[in-house]
Amino acid sequence: MRTYSLIISFLLFCLSGHAQVTEPSRQPWYVPEHAVLQTAGGIGMIAGGVGYALGAHRRFDADVLIGYVPGTYTGDRAFGIFTLKGTYSPFTLPVDTHWQIKPLAIGALINYTPSQMLNRSRDDKYSYKNYYWWGSTVRLGAFLGGRVGYGFNTRTGRKRVASAYYELGTNDLYFVSLLTNTKGLALGQILTLGLGVKVDF
Amino acid sequence: MLQATLFGGVALLLSSCELLEFSPNDVRVSDTQQELTRKNLARLAAQPKPTGGDTLRFVFTTDSQRYYDELDPLVSSINQQRGVAFVLLGGDISDFGLSREMTWVQEKLDGLQAPYLTVVGNHDLVGNGRAAYQKLFGPLNYAFTYGDTRFILADTNGREYAFNGQVPNVPWLQQQLADTVGIRRQITVCHVPPFNEDFDPALTGPFARTLVQAPRLVFNLSGHIDKFGESEPYDDGVTYISGYSVQQRHYLLLTLWGQKHYKLDVIAY
Repeated sequence: MRTYSLIISFLLFCLSGHAQVTEPSRQPWYVPEHAVLQTAGGIGMIAGGVGYALGAHRRFDADVLIGYVPGTYTGDRAFGIFTLKGTYSPFTLPVDTHWQIKPLAIGALINYTPSQMLNRSRDDKYSYKNYYWWGSTVRLGAFLGGRVGYGFNTRTGRKRVASAYYELGTNDLYFVSLLTNTKGLALGQILTLGLGVKVDF
Repeated sequence: MLQATLFGGVALLLSSCELLEFSPNDVRVSDTQQELTRKNLARLAAQPKPTGGDTLRFVFTTDSQRYYDELDPLVSSINQQRGVAFVLLGGDISDFGLSREMTWVQEKLDGLQAPYLTVVGNHDLVGNGRAAYQKLFGPLNYAFTYGDTRFILADTNGREYAFNGQVPNVPWLQQQLADTVGIRRQITVCHVPPFNEDFDPALTGPFARTLVQAPRLVFNLSGHIDKFGESEPYDDGVTYISGYSVQQRHYLLLTLWGQKHYKLDVIAY
């Protein structure tokens, strides 16, 4: 739990701190536009990565993250989790010259946990087909969330945004569990929460 | 008012702590959701036998995997039975081997008046399920004594170990069955029965012979096949009972007395 408080403090620190000033330059398309740091949401105790803001109004974020779950929480060896995530935020509400709110975010993700600790469900152990119809290392997820951003200009006049977001979501296996048990399970039982920050490069 | 807000805030923080899931395959659960085997055995040890004389009554249900809708009716039906010392769940507690699934089942079974004990199923060993089962419930092989009866619960999910010749652990089983000091009856409990194709074929013979050699064995209980049965498949005097899965909305109420006498009631719910 102590490590966990440290991470939360770090996230808050990232949010309050300003990004470093760099020279403005026209970057090739493949250079990522922002850095991401997230805790939980099923993609790691801590997950870091980079991403792009896409579309005419930059409403769509595409991020790639690598997450870490220490052995304390896996029962043995640490997990590495590789995640691809897409988030669509249709509205931006400006609060003042600096602050902005994106009240709604809709997103989906896919991740892969290549840990040797995970007993594979897809290696045809069982003769009958599709006995284990799901994969134990690949998860699909979906979420709703929101984001608060702080815009600022660097000394060279480049505009940047640092933002904090939350994502309330679930994964395919939890969703199937709820779908087939409308009386025995409640929506709240299948939810996961992710908290993170994004800072423009 | 301030106090209420404070309590609300703390409650929100605690619940969001559970929401903050690192991975569905992690085994991060609250203290009350851990070591259920040890805790239920302690409860059982402290509980006077609810039936008189040498009579012992318990419930056998199995394969709760993703049948949450059926668990509340199961729990309320069992709670209406008289003299139930404990409930045995024959494995496949979860469907995907995820710790959160196991906690969903725990939350339902917390409603039972009697303590409950589990044996590990093949679905509980998928993904990181083995670590989850060990943390949330306990050992994969264990034994306990209640009402002069020795219950021996063994992992028989050989296919999950690629039939490595070590699951079930026959030497351990022999050792447990050999220890008969103060024991009037013996009952073995497992998930995959030896006559099923998911049982390590190299160990079917040794397993069955081990049970034949146990003079105080009343019967073997198993799950996995979703088909009730009570038979002597090897014509060796050993009775094998396969239980109803939770989905089938039936369970077994077993009453033992004397040395090998028992009554089997099928209860629908």
